Amino acid sequence: MSTLMENTTSSPGPETGAETGGGMGEIPSFDVTLRIRRYSPETHGDEAYWQEFTVTAYGTDRLLDALHKVKWDVDGSLTFRRSCAHGVCGSDAMRINGRNRLACKVLLKDLNPDKPILVEPLKGLPVKKDLVVDMEPFFASYREIMPFLITGGNEPTRERLQSAEQRERFDDTTKCILCAACTSSCPVFWTDGQYFGPAAIVNAHRFIFDSRDDGAAQRLEILNDKEGVWRCRTIFNCSEACPRGIEITKAIKEVKRAMITRAF
Amino acid sequence: MTTTQTQAAAQLPIENPGEAYKRRKTTRGNFELYSWVFMRASGVVLLVLIFVHLFVNLVAGEGITAIDFGFVAGKWASPFWQVIDLVMLWLAMLHGTNGMRTIVNDYAERDGLRMWLKIALYTAFVVVTVLGTLVIFTFDPCPADAPANLLPSFCTA
Amino acid sequence: MQTHQYDVVIVGAGGAGMRAALESSKRTRTAVISKLYPTRSHTGAAQGGMCAALANVEEDNWEWHTFDTVKGGDYLVDQDAAEVMAKEAIDAVLDLEKMGLPFNRTPEGKIDQRRFGGHTRNHGEAAVRRSCYAADRTGHMILQTLYQQCVKNDVQFFNEFYVLDVLLSHDLTSGTVPDGQEVAVSGVVAYELATGEIHLFRAKSVVFATGGAGKIYKTTSNAQTLTGDGMALAFRRGIPLEDMEFFQFHPTGLAGLGILLSEAARGEGGILRNSDGERFMERYAPTIKDLAPRDIVARSMANEVREGRGAGPNKDYVLLDLTHLEPAHIDAKLPDITEFARTYLGIEPYTEPVPVYPTAHYAMGGIPTNILGEVLRNNTDTVRGLYAAGEVACVSVHGSNRLGTNSLLDINVFGKRSGIAAAEYALGADWVEMPEEPEVGVVAELERMRTLPSGERLAHVRQDLQNTMDANAQVFRTEESLRQALADIRALQERYRHVSVQDKGKVYNLDLLEALELGFLLDISEVVVVGALNRQESRGGHFREDFPKRDDANYMQHTMAYRRPSAATAAAGQSPSGPGTSAPGAFDVVLGYKPVVMTRYEPMERKY
Repeated sequence: MSTLMENTTSSPGPETGAETGGGMGEIPSFDVTLRIRRYSPETHGDEAYWQEFTVTAYGTDRLLDALHKVKWDVDGSLTFRRSCAHGVCGSDAMRINGRNRLACKVLLKDLNPDKPILVEPLKGLPVKKDLVVDMEPFFASYREIMPFLITGGNEPTRERLQSAEQRERFDDTTKCILCAACTSSCPVFWTDGQYFGPAAIVNAHRFIFDSRDDGAAQRLEILNDKEGVWRCRTIFNCSEACPRGIEITKAIKEVKRAMITRAF
Repeated sequence: MTTTQTQAAAQLPIENPGEAYKRRKTTRGNFELYSWVFMRASGVVLLVLIFVHLFVNLVAGEGITAIDFGFVAGKWASPFWQVIDLVMLWLAMLHGTNGMRTIVNDYAERDGLRMWLKIALYTAFVVVTVLGTLVIFTFDPCPADAPANLLPSFCTA
Repeated sequence: MQTHQYDVVIVGAGGAGMRAALESSKRTRTAVISKLYPTRSHTGAAQGGMCAALANVEEDNWEWHTFDTVKGGDYLVDQDAAEVMAKEAIDAVLDLEKMGLPFNRTPEGKIDQRRFGGHTRNHGEAAVRRSCYAADRTGHMILQTLYQQCVKNDVQFFNEFYVLDVLLSHDLTSGTVPDGQEVAVSGVVAYELATGEIHLFRAKSVVFATGGAGKIYKTTSNAQTLTGDGMALAFRRGIPLEDMEFFQFHPTGLAGLGILLSEAARGEGGILRNSDGERFMERYAPTIKDLAPRDIVARSMANEVREGRGAGPNKDYVLLDLTHLEPAHIDAKLPDITEFARTYLGIEPYTEPVPVYPTAHYAMGGIPTNILGEVLRNNTDTVRGLYAAGEVACVSVHGSNRLGTNSLLDINVFGKRSGIAAAEYALGADWVEMPEEPEVGVVAELERMRTLPSGERLAHVRQDLQNTMDANAQVFRTEESLRQALADIRALQERYRHVSVQDKGKVYNLDLLEALELGFLLDISEVVVVGALNRQESRGGHFREDFPKRDDANYMQHTMAYRRPSAATAAAGQSPSGPGTSAPGAFDVVLGYKPVVMTRYEPMERKY
């Protein structure tokens, strides 16, 4: 059904080449081909399709830079979310060569240049357009686990005390940026989207193990649901996908253990 | 910089575009928790039981050549082996059925399919477990009407 | 088109927006409109900490903090505002702790504090430990904590909605509204990214918390989405912008990339070295050396490079040396920034120094407000019901140079204040009549952009803008470079009239969004450059090589930039006020001044 578009040569702005070089003189460059899964019901019907683009990249270019080059110089309709561009905002999680990554944390030089780089939207979330997915299901399960400090008793005038060890106990799970890379890498989530998913459990963990929090029992009750932690099959996809290096499977295991300790 | 673009052939349609999200219902109670613990505990117990079973039946004494109706009857004449085999049967069936239930939950995407697979699974569980239990307690090595050539030697007609 | 009605509408869901929302939604019906999901906001990229004189680890008090803020801002700080901020800093930090923010702790279990640039004991004696922090993720923790509280309090968000116009009762661009006349806000017009639909939000109060405009520069620590939207929207409706020529360049951006490496790296003992290995800050700021305020460090670095002592094959950066620190200490206190160095430059900070160079970081200027967060439309009159907080606002607590950590403080203190003020005003105010068909201007602008015949790519116009700003209006500025920048901007404004949007759809048309953002960037750049040309002195973040001295006699005052019809437009009798961009030359940037509020501190020479 698709027509083969003619090869076009774009005329980039005079400074495009120096984009990431910061004027550092001759920088080695190489070509990369992106094979992007696109979906635009408004213009291309209800079926997704693959489209390939070849762009020139430089040593420190990230995949996000390549996507920008496509959008800015070739096809402005290519749609993807991005913001901070250095791995702290969580906007540009996508499937890159079959693995969930932040486009701004994948350096092109680290990918095999001989094969096209496969770029797809996150799996398991409804696709809206090109690489943009509906994040609402993801945030909905996040909101369900009561992701906020619950305290009882009188509020102290100064800070609540917490030892460095107590602070360290939940440090790993405070790093979550809610990019959805973990949840959308989980096959159990792919099936029907009912599983709470790793990200929600990670954020529950962050409070369950916070010495200042009194809401652990409620959160454990929520995650004891049939769609809760017991659906984790410990396949470690989430830990592998996390751009913040959170040991997610371990966190889920700790939540399971807390539930068992509570039950017996 | 040179940039080329080609459009490849159309691929599969995107799954579930725009499908609304709703967690169907929340469950309370510890069923999944107990089921999770049971899987681990029964797995460990089964490991012991199965290897004991294999050793006693296939290795000890005259080994595999000793197995016949008489050997089985001999074992089940003792309440000890009856209990051991009953426990093994039940644990294995529960463990296996629960494992299958998990797999159905993980891989069957449509509710209808899930329901039918589970009905089949639970039916199979009931049939096998009831039959097996009956056999353990009612096993008769010398059924009355059986042809003589199928019966062990110690059966007196 | 859909119409919504809320007592308070907050535009932007970063730190300031959510802090305001927490206060406002407790008191009255509140909606938060954000072009990003709240947790994507750039508050999350802040690293080092949030200063407050808690005195948890050593003697400290808010008055010292006030002094440091005033001195750090090169005395262009409104001292009443700085005092408010330093006083309320303590509660702001404790509030966050009570909301659950996981601060690093002292051995006694209290909030730990560390040194930060420009923060000193007893008016400059030595660096003081004042910055409360959570590793090098303080901003991330603040953003997450505030979002968590918003979830808890069921704050209503309109995510991925883009505000494109603010509705006022009077046309301020005409310049004919007399002083003292009551002008009020009546709502905003927003565009839903997911559908392309227009939404009209009627409101008694509107709080702008849209953040900064770092994308006017090429090398910047700012997110792709920081395009000065709020500033430009207000400016296009005739509200002035204050002190826009003061832009902060953060000393330690990853060389060539601009990605921020926190000042905490130096607070924890990191040292800047030139190609000779010399600790050059000893020459520029003998007392506090590497922990001098950012403008001084950035200028010193640029100067080292200019005088040929830069490191690297092209001698165009300096080195941030952490190699003398224990790896365990680095991992505990600076995990993220060391990972940035590894990921993006392939440098191992345990053993190698990291190449750094100044990166555009923070707009000190913005929409002028008083200490309640009320927006000023001239030196004295407020716009009733309109508030601003955070980087988009200019209170002015940062003067001509913001101290590190004071932005996280700013968003919390003035976010809270403006949230309270907006809600309380809304509770007592009547609905203001909206203009007839208030969405018409926005719809026409969107339609015009979408249907432009194929022309130049907008990205090329933006690249040219960023290049000229980097080349001509960065750390060092001269009359000549600024004139060049202004000429370039005017030419780019003309080119912008003919850029094409390739995506013609309605669903998630981010191409169209970028085109609109580019319009804002062009407007903001013009204000920055016009202000910089006019300010013939050097102060804080604004350094004029042709006028290297501070000139208190002539310039100890805030710049106020107004958008007013040009002579040609006025002669034609037109007043083409509207939310969209206008033809170059239709408006002029008209400058005025606002006096600096001084309470305790007389201007002195700034030495560290």
